[in-house]
Amino acid sequence: MLLHYFPGTLLPAAFATCVLACTPLYAQAQAPVQAANAAPDTAAGPTWKLSGFGTLGVVHSNSHEADFSSSILRASGAGVSGSWSPNVDSRLGAQLDVSQGAWSGVLQVISEQRLDHSYQPRIEWANIKYQMTPDLAVRVGRIALPVFLGAESRKVGYTIPWVRTPVEVYGALPISSSDGVDATWRWSTGAVRHATQVFSGSTDQDLGYGLQIDANNILGLSHSIDYGPLTVRLSAARARLNTDIAADLFAGLRMFGPRGQMLAERYAIVDKRVSMISAGASYDPGAWFVTAETGRTRTDSLLGGGTSVYVGAGWRQGAFTPYVGYAQIRADVATSDPGLQLEGLPAPVAAGAAQINGALNTLLATIPIQTTWSTGVRWDVASDLALKLQFEQVRPRGGSRGTLINSTPAFRSDRTVNVTSIALDFVF
Amino acid sequence: MLVLCTLCFVATSASAELVVIVSSRNPNPVLNAEQVSAIFLGQTGRFPDGAAAVAIDQGLGAAQRDLFYRQLTGKSPALLKAHWSKMVFTGRGQPPREAASDAAVRRMVADNPSMIGYIERAALDPSVRPVLVLQ
Repeated sequence: MLLHYFPGTLLPAAFATCVLACTPLYAQAQAPVQAANAAPDTAAGPTWKLSGFGTLGVVHSNSHEADFSSSILRASGAGVSGSWSPNVDSRLGAQLDVSQGAWSGVLQVISEQRLDHSYQPRIEWANIKYQMTPDLAVRVGRIALPVFLGAESRKVGYTIPWVRTPVEVYGALPISSSDGVDATWRWSTGAVRHATQVFSGSTDQDLGYGLQIDANNILGLSHSIDYGPLTVRLSAARARLNTDIAADLFAGLRMFGPRGQMLAERYAIVDKRVSMISAGASYDPGAWFVTAETGRTRTDSLLGGGTSVYVGAGWRQGAFTPYVGYAQIRADVATSDPGLQLEGLPAPVAAGAAQINGALNTLLATIPIQTTWSTGVRWDVASDLALKLQFEQVRPRGGSRGTLINSTPAFRSDRTVNVTSIALDFVF
Repeated sequence: MLVLCTLCFVATSASAELVVIVSSRNPNPVLNAEQVSAIFLGQTGRFPDGAAAVAIDQGLGAAQRDLFYRQLTGKSPALLKAHWSKMVFTGRGQPPREAASDAAVRRMVADNPSMIGYIERAALDPSVRPVLVLQ
């Protein structure tokens, strides 16, 4: 198995042992029957299947004041932490499927860099599914939030033409999974195939360093339409968000009278309503393809809110797929705030208030405003293996640091960062 | 029946003409390319008449398999792998069961009215019925 060839730093021993323990079960693996209650099943017991995916990627960025990253939940990226970084895109995922008749279960674990520099694996999917009819399935457990065309499979590089899903669009989600229930109903009107999914749950995401982000009362709907080469997806979800990020800042704000209280109430991420809505379409007749997506997120808090859009197109020339793309995210809220009033305060108190204003505005500047132009080529080297090379020009705007992380005090917005990425994607 | 008659008039180059087959006990008369494509890509689990449909593939790398998907969906083996990877890793389904040869597909399909497969036209026999001819 490919897992044996990975260096120790990428896979902690515990995870490797866990996966290796499941390997004997793979010996009796056969592809489970697709429609559960159709054929008389000759297999007596459950069917097991182990599969997986991964990306080996390296990224270069010419910025010396910030890191380019694919997600804000990472410790480092390419740029100030080192002009070349393997941490942006490298990941390994393993999935265990078990099925018997109309019942099936899935467990998917992914290892990628986290906020605390470790590659400790995280459970992405863990659910039990019951196929009530060939068209209606119900799941209980953890699922990835189905917003955007590729949100649920955004970590499987092999399924994406470009190196990564656009950070402006896919990085805008404060939460990415839901622990609860969901139901999917497939139906059709002539040649138009529909799938309607409703989901409900909650999530506790550990961010590292003792921080956590919790979402409760998650409720959402996702609808996909397939008509020949056209695929459309519309999604909407809402939740109540809670996190102790910047708890010290809000405690400090609250000590400054009614204005401080008001600022704390406005920005604290305590029982705040978050809503996401998105629409995406992909037209793929085979020789070429176009994909476009747009999304809007609101959090009424420090995490801000924005509208993002992405357009990508490519064409297929034998085993090569060159492509171009444009992505943009624009904040719909103010990314700075006058903060506490300093007049009339005694000098040492005013200094403290100024520091709090500075901290608040530093955090607000992390609400992204950014545009990216990208181009690249994907080469399907061998079956189950794809090599990609991508160039992009990333431009944070409007005083924001965009989607870049680890910005130093010398960081200036409105400067283009050139990013080069090489990625090797595989599935097994 | 009309499909079989038109078969006689089609000038076939070599033997590589594929037919999509169901059991002779399956009441579905004819399927169009879109309906067959939806079953084999996991977008539906039913025949047009509502009965459950189970797709049977030929083995990975088989000439019939590559030709079938290229003619029916326009997808190369790599694109098909990407499609099924997306389905598998989002829990939406698994790729179809595989059978080793035309004869194996025919045997499985003949025994089970909910199965649907594809074989070379030359391998047809009365135990199965063609529902679509691929050009």
